[in-house]
Amino acid sequence: MFKPADVQGNILRGYRKSRVRYLMLEVTDRAAARRWLAACTSGGGVPQITTEEPWITKPVTCFNIALTWEGLRALGASQRSLDTFPIEFRDGMAQRAVKLGDVGPSAPENWPAPFDQPKRIHLIATIYADEIAQLDGVQQQALAGNSGFNLLGRRDGFNFNDNYVHFGYHDNISQPKFAEIHDVESLPDAQPVAPLGTVLLGYQSNFEGLLFKVPEPEPLGLNGSFNAFRVLQQDVAGFEAYLTTAANDLLAHPKLDELLPPGAEAKIGQGLSRHAALREVVAASFCGRWRNGVPLALSPDTPHPSPEVDPTDFDFVGDSRCPYGAHIRRSNPRGGQIVQRVANHSRRLVRRGLPYGPAYYPEKPDSEERGLLGNFIGANLGAQFEAMSCDWLNLGLQDPRVTGSNDPLIGANDPATSWFDISLKSGATIRLRGLPRFVQTRGGAYTFLPSLAAIRYLGALTS
Amino acid sequence: MDDLPLAKRLVDAVISDFPDHQPGTRPVHTIGIGVEGCFTASDVARNYCVAEHFGGEPVKVSVRFSNGSGSPKQHDGWSDVRGMATRFHLKDGAATDLIAMTLGEFFSRNVDDFFAFTAAARQTPVGRESPWRKILDMLQLVLPFPDPYPGQTQSGDAGTLGYANQHRFAQLGVFQAGSIGAPVSYVRATYHAVHTFVVTDPDGIRRNVRFSWQPVAGVRTYQRTDPLQPDQYLQQELRERLAQWPARFMLMMTIGEDGDAIDDPTLPWPAKRVRVVMGTLTLTKVADDQAAAAEHISFNPCRLTPGIEASGDPILHARRDAYEESRIRRGGIACPFSGGPSNAK
Amino acid sequence: MPSSPTSNLTDDRSWFDRFVDRLPQTGIMKFVAARILVPYWAWRYPVQKQPGGPPFSIQPGDNVQRMMNLVMPLKDKSAVGRAIAALAIAQNVDEIYAGLDNVGTVHFARFVIVDNNICMMSVYDGDFTNYIRDFIATIGSVFDAVVSLVEGGDDVIPSEHNIEKFIDWVHAHDMYQVPDLATGILRDQEALKGDTAQTGNDDLRLLPRDLILQLNVNTNVSLGSGYRAYPGYSAAQVRRQFGIGW
Repeated sequence: MFKPADVQGNILRGYRKSRVRYLMLEVTDRAAARRWLAACTSGGGVPQITTEEPWITKPVTCFNIALTWEGLRALGASQRSLDTFPIEFRDGMAQRAVKLGDVGPSAPENWPAPFDQPKRIHLIATIYADEIAQLDGVQQQALAGNSGFNLLGRRDGFNFNDNYVHFGYHDNISQPKFAEIHDVESLPDAQPVAPLGTVLLGYQSNFEGLLFKVPEPEPLGLNGSFNAFRVLQQDVAGFEAYLTTAANDLLAHPKLDELLPPGAEAKIGQGLSRHAALREVVAASFCGRWRNGVPLALSPDTPHPSPEVDPTDFDFVGDSRCPYGAHIRRSNPRGGQIVQRVANHSRRLVRRGLPYGPAYYPEKPDSEERGLLGNFIGANLGAQFEAMSCDWLNLGLQDPRVTGSNDPLIGANDPATSWFDISLKSGATIRLRGLPRFVQTRGGAYTFLPSLAAIRYLGALTS
Repeated sequence: MDDLPLAKRLVDAVISDFPDHQPGTRPVHTIGIGVEGCFTASDVARNYCVAEHFGGEPVKVSVRFSNGSGSPKQHDGWSDVRGMATRFHLKDGAATDLIAMTLGEFFSRNVDDFFAFTAAARQTPVGRESPWRKILDMLQLVLPFPDPYPGQTQSGDAGTLGYANQHRFAQLGVFQAGSIGAPVSYVRATYHAVHTFVVTDPDGIRRNVRFSWQPVAGVRTYQRTDPLQPDQYLQQELRERLAQWPARFMLMMTIGEDGDAIDDPTLPWPAKRVRVVMGTLTLTKVADDQAAAAEHISFNPCRLTPGIEASGDPILHARRDAYEESRIRRGGIACPFSGGPSNAK
Repeated sequence: MPSSPTSNLTDDRSWFDRFVDRLPQTGIMKFVAARILVPYWAWRYPVQKQPGGPPFSIQPGDNVQRMMNLVMPLKDKSAVGRAIAALAIAQNVDEIYAGLDNVGTVHFARFVIVDNNICMMSVYDGDFTNYIRDFIATIGSVFDAVVSLVEGGDDVIPSEHNIEKFIDWVHAHDMYQVPDLATGILRDQEALKGDTAQTGNDDLRLLPRDLILQLNVNTNVSLGSGYRAYPGYSAAQVRRQFGIGW
């Protein structure tokens, strides 16, 4: 039975706060940590967990927690209970590196602290606020006194430009909409309503008849969810450089006029040169949306269609001009034709994330680290996040026209062998090659997002 | 050529493993036989490589089959790696070579490894293991040392085994070489070129590839448990066979993917890579002038042609000058390196 | 049992030499090897069981046309039991074919009964767990019918409500694929122990024993990853190339 007060609030909706802080914590005192957990659901002196209960007034800060398998073990969950958690969660993200494409510089061996010691990360506490001072305040409150935790590291995110991310795209447009809840703040999403079991354990999932195992005992597993937390570094300079190189190549391509008819650059942007327009065409093809969020499937020729379109109301059926290998199409094929016919809509994820690092200014290039702190939430890591990562983002198994290639934005691309096909109106394609890897993984963890009842259960453990 | 001291050292190092090597002969693959034939590319070869011999027109070839040893004493029946060096005769006196052997990988990743390997591979006296030692081996489920061949007093096997035990990258090569046996015929073995090359297709796309010759007659090998063959049976067999009918090889080109070992010749590529049939080699007769076709001819793995380039494999690069050095020492015929600076690496 | 070579062109071996060389082929030595030596060495140097199925890889060629060799011992080890298993498949042929079509990533699949095992041998693309999970979604009922006849199968059915456990169970019954390259088994054994060094203090002459001891714990194995006539392409790519729809 779904009760909003029992579910943590950051799962079914985003808070729309402009800042976030992730605290990676290690359990040092089991009894104290348990008391801390009990207190955060019952009004004690630590930050209180924000739930899914509708707000009357928006809180100044929000607070949520997530646990790794090692964390559950450190808190003293029984071995029997631990064995009921899925194997990928037990292994931890670092062990699943090859499956996720975390190889080379992205490999866990190269992750900075605290992610270089994955087994010590037990609890990830997340603070949401609009001001840094507010983040500091909640952090201080959380770790005051003998909390039972040791702070291993932290990461801060900041929505520096109104939902635009470092590669210049407008993010956070499409999210699954759930039947059982009404979230007044979310953008309406025109995709089929997702069953609650897409994200929460214990409910019907997208697969007909399939129920994912709810970890035992029931108070611990029910209404929980799983999250793949990823620190994704974005090579903005490399990305923009590749767009330039690709535009240069396209200017010399025999099919240039079919791709960008003379004069069409005006439709892409006022006063843009053909070269600059081609850069935007490539960027849009990579993503599946123009940088302002307008989907290629609805408006392949211009990011400013008239009349305006609903950026969530499209599908990949019929004559869609969205390239088959585009990022949003690879990660969510919607109703489009895919090889694994049963899997349409079955690997949907709730994505929550904020950029980290300073904005990049091409006039003043720097070598600061910047990227995205991403959360990819679903009821089952293996069936959703991992399945999408290994067969769809990399390998491209869902469509024979992209099989053997990786996602252009986040895939494990090697310039010697990578490729991407841009779609032309006639159905022909232009193949771009030499894509480097733009996004490197700099840390992460598989976490369990417990329900409030689960947090109380863990807080009440004695042994 | 400022690599010459290195080339000299390489050739000397190889010769040091064969104490009875005769000056004026090749340091390894000394015993060989020259064969003539022609190569016809498949109808898809030109889609992957613009090199002349893949264009589809039949191209004359000169092939030299050989035994791996650097000793002048011919023992075809002794377990040994075999070589197949092919020269494609192109227009205007140009040529390109493809050198292959029956082992699918090499023992060393780079030149330093190679010097260490040749030092370890020096021949040491061998004798039959005592039967008590063999029983002890059997009780430990250990492979006993093979009995030496009749008349074999020295072998590099103990040294290469010691080297492999210390260096994991050499283990596959040493293990396979140790059990490679003797083929029933020179044309009944698969020959691998081992090194990665980069081929360019008509659209300018470059691919990392490896070549192998697959015998149409199939692979068949005598094992050490079979009766020992006469010392010169392979050359005799080849003459008789080609007098009756031609022998064919298919040129298979495997395309590497990112993550495969490009510059490391100790790592073979998995059999799960795309495999393209590049053409058929038909060998028609043993060359009349064996002095020219088996001795004076000088192949070089870096003698390439536009459309084919060397990868960054350090052993491949080292072989270029080493083969030249060896050719000069034995008075082999020079053949110009065709193409431009791209082949002169 | 690794056998010693014989050289019989000029045989200057003593009678004892010849006796010892012939020893591995004799019945008594084979008995000693199998019943005494192997158990002893298996106890001295315990070897972990290698996991089944193909290893994880990032390369496209390794992720298409992968082999699954599933061996499931039947509970009823009689002709009747085998017949029931055969009927369970025969009665569900439509479901199985529809399921395989809809999963979309299977090149070939066949059910085979060998002795008292019902086996499924298939060639598929992509990740193993996705393949099985998509299967459960389409033909879970057929799985349940077959697995209920298998030893230990009752713990994992109904498959639709035990997805993770079922996938793990299938994985455990998938054969270990002995590497294609001879020394690959040494690398696999080292990997299980977490040893990734480039240099070592190994003894290549122990390779046969390492193989024997591994086959002592992994009794059903696939030798190599298999031959492919047209490696590197997914089932959908093949269908599309032939113009028969995917």
